[in-house]
Amino acid sequence: MKAPALGYSLGPGPTGRRDFLRGITGTFAFSALPRFARAVMQPVYPFEEVFPITSGITWKHTAGHSPQKYLPETTGAGCAFLDYDNDGWMDIFLVNSGKCDFYDPSPPLRNALYRNNRDGTFTDVTEKAGVAAGGYGQGVAVGDYDADGFPDIYVAQYGRSILYHNNGDGTFTDVTEKAGLAAPGWSSSAVWFDYDNDGRLDLFVCRFVDFDKSKNLPCTADNKLGYCIPHLYKPMSSWLFHNNGDGTFTDVSKSSGIGKYLGKGWGVVATDINNDGRMDLFVSNDTVANFLFVNRGQGTFEEIGQQAGTAYSDAGRPRSGMGVDSADFNQDGWMDLFVANIDHEAYSLYQNNHDETFDDIAAPNGIASASKLMSGWGLKFFDYDNDGNLDLMIANGHPDDLIENIYENVKYREPLLLFHNSGNGLKNVSAESGPAFAKPMSARGLAIGDFNNDGAVDVLVSTNNEAPVLLRNTIGSQNHWLGLKLVGKKANIDAVGARISYQAGDLKRSRMKVGGGSYLSSHDPRLVLGIGQHVKIDWLEIIWPQPSGLKQRFTDLPIDRYIMVREGGEKWE
Amino acid sequence: MLSVVSAGGSSVAQSVSNAPADASSIARNAMALAESGHCSEALPSLRKSIGPVKDKELRRKIGLDGVRCAMTLHQTDATLEFLHLLTREFPQDPDALYVAIHAYSDLSTSASQELARNAPSSYQAHELLAESFETQGKWEVAEKEYRAILKKDPSLPGIHFRLGRALLSKPNPGPDVASEAKQEFEQELQIDPKNAGAEYVLGELARQNQVWDEAVKRFSRAAKLDPQFGEAFLGLGASLISEKQYAEAIVPLETAVRLEPRNPDAHYNLAMAYTRAGRKQDGEKEFAIHRRIIGNEAGPAEAAPSTNQPQENK
Repeated sequence: MKAPALGYSLGPGPTGRRDFLRGITGTFAFSALPRFARAVMQPVYPFEEVFPITSGITWKHTAGHSPQKYLPETTGAGCAFLDYDNDGWMDIFLVNSGKCDFYDPSPPLRNALYRNNRDGTFTDVTEKAGVAAGGYGQGVAVGDYDADGFPDIYVAQYGRSILYHNNGDGTFTDVTEKAGLAAPGWSSSAVWFDYDNDGRLDLFVCRFVDFDKSKNLPCTADNKLGYCIPHLYKPMSSWLFHNNGDGTFTDVSKSSGIGKYLGKGWGVVATDINNDGRMDLFVSNDTVANFLFVNRGQGTFEEIGQQAGTAYSDAGRPRSGMGVDSADFNQDGWMDLFVANIDHEAYSLYQNNHDETFDDIAAPNGIASASKLMSGWGLKFFDYDNDGNLDLMIANGHPDDLIENIYENVKYREPLLLFHNSGNGLKNVSAESGPAFAKPMSARGLAIGDFNNDGAVDVLVSTNNEAPVLLRNTIGSQNHWLGLKLVGKKANIDAVGARISYQAGDLKRSRMKVGGGSYLSSHDPRLVLGIGQHVKIDWLEIIWPQPSGLKQRFTDLPIDRYIMVREGGEKWE
Repeated sequence: MLSVVSAGGSSVAQSVSNAPADASSIARNAMALAESGHCSEALPSLRKSIGPVKDKELRRKIGLDGVRCAMTLHQTDATLEFLHLLTREFPQDPDALYVAIHAYSDLSTSASQELARNAPSSYQAHELLAESFETQGKWEVAEKEYRAILKKDPSLPGIHFRLGRALLSKPNPGPDVASEAKQEFEQELQIDPKNAGAEYVLGELARQNQVWDEAVKRFSRAAKLDPQFGEAFLGLGASLISEKQYAEAIVPLETAVRLEPRNPDAHYNLAMAYTRAGRKQDGEKEFAIHRRIIGNEAGPAEAAPSTNQPQENK
């Protein structure tokens, strides 16, 4: 940042430094020194909250908490960064509750779509866009399923989910019935990815338990009704929908093998754990074993969570899996996994052993101790300081509002966690990361996205029955970076599954564009490649997902800006 | 039967004395006396009836009435005699179990009162007090009691172990508590090198800190000191898995499974060891047992069991 102009002349003729300083002190007469000192001493924290008065995001989530304690009341909702109008600036979508068999809010509730005004503020365009919905929303997944260049929105709901087709003119159309994506029941997280490598985005939808108003169970703590542990409800199978390429989808849950497995799905990430070029799915389940669906080709998946070591705790116990993500956090060329759980279970960081097995290394990375009493939902690996290493942020909050009556050391509202990756492992830096990481929240969703296009990836946290929290990244732009928007042609248009590697001096890194991750949330589709203090990227290589498989290498790249790379294009744009 | 004792105590005694002299009749009369509150008269006959009476239901009632009367009369020997009858011959009978719980509880209270009366300053009295605090979750007070004992006699066996355990049980232990507890367990082992429990907890502490060679050493010693210590074998096997020594983990984990066949952790770790050592079929078998024990609902649709009962909070 340039120094601001002083606003006065140093006077005619040569002026010595001594005179200059005397002039300043004369002008301010020392009265400003304390303020100056405070400004100088002000610590720089990596994220600062952008309050509604600044952002214009005044919408709040309404859970509809009732005396009957219907379980969906405590589990939502999600959020998303997306560029719905393709202007190159990230907009925001927020999911709300709504009318269902146990809830009939008056006046009706609505989701929110906020258009980015490109100046740090947002405008509510929900009504015009036609995405207000009204069902009991949970999650959101954004993807350009019809490859028309405009991102579409899938809202996973309790009851009946909705697919909003982006008309390209700032409006959306509910095409759920035509598409065949209603996915009745209690849907939670969803992810767009191309499971059969036909170049079209398919959809996986997590399904939670068998629940409706008549099946709500009375659970008590201290003689007060509370939210039940989900093990009291029957598990259900999740959905996999194949994109037919004509705006319709076919339910392939059964033929793919996915539908054979009953779970209580909360989080999902599409990744490639065995580097075979086929997208696998890691699904967190609540109170039952997590699923690791490995894509064996021919449209089929094999569930290997148990053998892989990702289904249970180290002691072999199912936990309350919630948020998930996948990233090659240790840069060994293999995708690792992460799952957040409930209090007294600790979260797990699963390091890939390169043979379809994983070891939980949460403890040596400080994650187990930091999360011992926490309950984690939205989470994401990303490089917040652009040093080239993937860090990790986790949004937390206990689902049971009576929990403090049961455990004195477990809180209903919990702060965010931030882990910095030094290149030699993760370190919990939450305590020294400022007020954003001390604020207790009833957090649920977490989405990453660079809303001000400064290359420093920002964060949006959605909360249960409270306002969302927008965090501006204040330090990412202190290092150099390159932003990348990938547009597939033969490969799926969102390039989910693309492999990117790059080198800047002695810094060589690789990334994969995973599908989804976090909890109920969807992210900025662009990748920001941090290069630290290097001032040049020597080369960038992209391996496009199948059926393309095209490998493209670029040199002569700019830094500190976003570029678009189209599959097969000779040059970046 | 109770009709014969509907009158006052003396008439009951009279009716008993006039009863036929076979063992069953004596027992029935004694029970009638007992149930009308004449335990002093009833107890000798009830004790005498234990041997000769063969009828199972009658023996059960002799035991129940015998315990009640013996407890009323503070006759510990007789109480234990009747309890022995009940626990040996009626181990699953709810009445027998209910009476036994009360009797053992009262005997325990009585013995602790004796200890407090006869040796209030003894280390045993302090130890009992500390244990009582532990059961109430009063870890700080328990810790003070153990420290008071050690101040008098730092070499008493068992106290450092209990102190270390109390320290680790605190709900919000400070950062130094684990190392403080570790010192206590190490001191315990200096006093009593055969304390398998102390070796085990030291192994657990090492495992939590990912000091695997230390964990392996401690768990191995605990298992050697007490070959029936299933958890020690499990800890050893799990630590070896963490060290990626899958083949080496198999034997201790097989031992753990043999000693604790209902422990899901043991089956899970053995399954992992088998699978990662290349014995996939053996691993599958163990995974199946593990799934059965924990009742995991997730998995193929046909394997899903029904739901559990409500009344629990997340």
